[in-house]
Amino acid sequence: MKNAMGVELSDGERTLVECYQGLVRVLKSDPDLAPFERRNALKAVAALWQVVNGLDLDPGNLYEIGA
Amino acid sequence: MKESPYWNPRHETMPRDQIEALQARKLKNLVAWTEARVPWQAKRLKAAGVTAEAIKSLKDLQRIPMMTRDEWMQAQLEEPPYGPLLAAPQEVAIRYHLTSGTTGRIPLQVLDSMKDWEWIAEMWCYGFWGFGVRPPDIVFFAFSYGTFVGFWGAHYACEKIGCLVLPGGNMTTEARVKQIMTMKATVVCSTPTYALRMAQEAKSMGVDLASGPVKRLILSGEPAGSIPATKHLIEEEWGAKAADTAGMTEVGTIMIFECEKQPGGTHIIEDHYIEEVVDPETGRPVGYGELGERLITSFGRGFIPVLRYRTRDLVVRVPASGCTCGRTFDLYEGGIRGRVDDMKLVRGTNVYPRAVESIVREFKEIDEFRIHLYTAEGRQDEIEVLVEIPERDGANAERILVQLAKSLSQAHEGLRFGVKKVENGSLPRFELKAKRLQDDRTVIGTAGERRATA
Repeated sequence: MKNAMGVELSDGERTLVECYQGLVRVLKSDPDLAPFERRNALKAVAALWQVVNGLDLDPGNLYEIGA
Repeated sequence: MKESPYWNPRHETMPRDQIEALQARKLKNLVAWTEARVPWQAKRLKAAGVTAEAIKSLKDLQRIPMMTRDEWMQAQLEEPPYGPLLAAPQEVAIRYHLTSGTTGRIPLQVLDSMKDWEWIAEMWCYGFWGFGVRPPDIVFFAFSYGTFVGFWGAHYACEKIGCLVLPGGNMTTEARVKQIMTMKATVVCSTPTYALRMAQEAKSMGVDLASGPVKRLILSGEPAGSIPATKHLIEEEWGAKAADTAGMTEVGTIMIFECEKQPGGTHIIEDHYIEEVVDPETGRPVGYGELGERLITSFGRGFIPVLRYRTRDLVVRVPASGCTCGRTFDLYEGGIRGRVDDMKLVRGTNVYPRAVESIVREFKEIDEFRIHLYTAEGRQDEIEVLVEIPERDGANAERILVQLAKSLSQAHEGLRFGVKKVENGSLPRFELKAKRLQDDRTVIGTAGERRATA
């Protein structure tokens, strides 16, 4: 996996990115998450967004999912 | 594993051409987001012929119209409370803050989402980590946790870093000093003015801060954090290293910080902002080493896109090579030098409050001061500096008054300054931004130009 600057990400970095992508996918697709699941997942996404952004993957904004 | 001295090592040591490529890419994304989500901004961009598609390099930045605080305020007045500046619905926001009210008719009101709020803390992490704050640190915040954003982001940054956070809101100065000592705080965050205030209080309590647990002070909210004499005094009183930072509510957080090498300036967080320096009169860019006004473009808070915002802050930008820390982020030498509107003309001589403070702070016997401008005999403008000199450590007040008047005059083309000792405790104390200049003049200049009444 390469970032927008053409830099190959390390295994650890790639795992963090996949974790973020997985969380976003779940938040977008599953309307039946319990409040504790959704709100904690949103907090995690907001934190992981900083990682993905700092790795130059241009994550955009997340307002449509509430983050 | 060896710990990195940088919060984001890849970005903070990136070669300049790559920093610029990163900024150009983020600028294009920001313009696209703004065009799509904020019609008020989109109209301004369109009128200037700017589109996201057309942005190919940082040179294209110059075509984006500058935005002023007046425009922002006007937009809020016309469409309260936030103006037509929001890129997301209010329902997504988790934080509301407003400006401190030191500039302008009305405070600016802003919103942040969960992700934006995390980003705000992220910017402070660059500063705290860069100044050597680490998980075992115990951080005390001398800050009234209110709607002014102040150190809010710094608080969350310290939680993120893993420090033990002591939120010192709603406390007397005495109680704060006590808690710093009893809890063995290793880091203290405050304005430069309040750091000195706490040092004065500690003295009157018989507490020796210099031999206490505090190793670092993170200063913000006033330019004084980079005034060498003020900073030296703070470091001496606390027996600790002090770092300057500066932020603004308009972006929600800091954009510059001083690293552990203390180069006499503050690094610009260039992977999250584009900072330009322009002539405040013409708006044309000025070069490295020249005094000018900061313009900021922020890639962080998506809720309210900020493009080429005129800050009115005066700065001198120098290359990153001015610091030995290894960061490639450029510096503002001497931090924020003051405000474009700070300068006062007194009988033909320019007087900057920062310059006056830098001289006053050379006299450590002076606890507090005020710059007072007034009209004498209905025709001439005068300047006086009122000082508090407590009777301790054998302070010779008469000698200090004479020397201070002489130093001030010498630094201002021979301008005569009245210097008066006032009763101890009679001048106002400040926890947030200090307001030490009082302009009571009815006439400006010897020509008798009548001052406009508000």
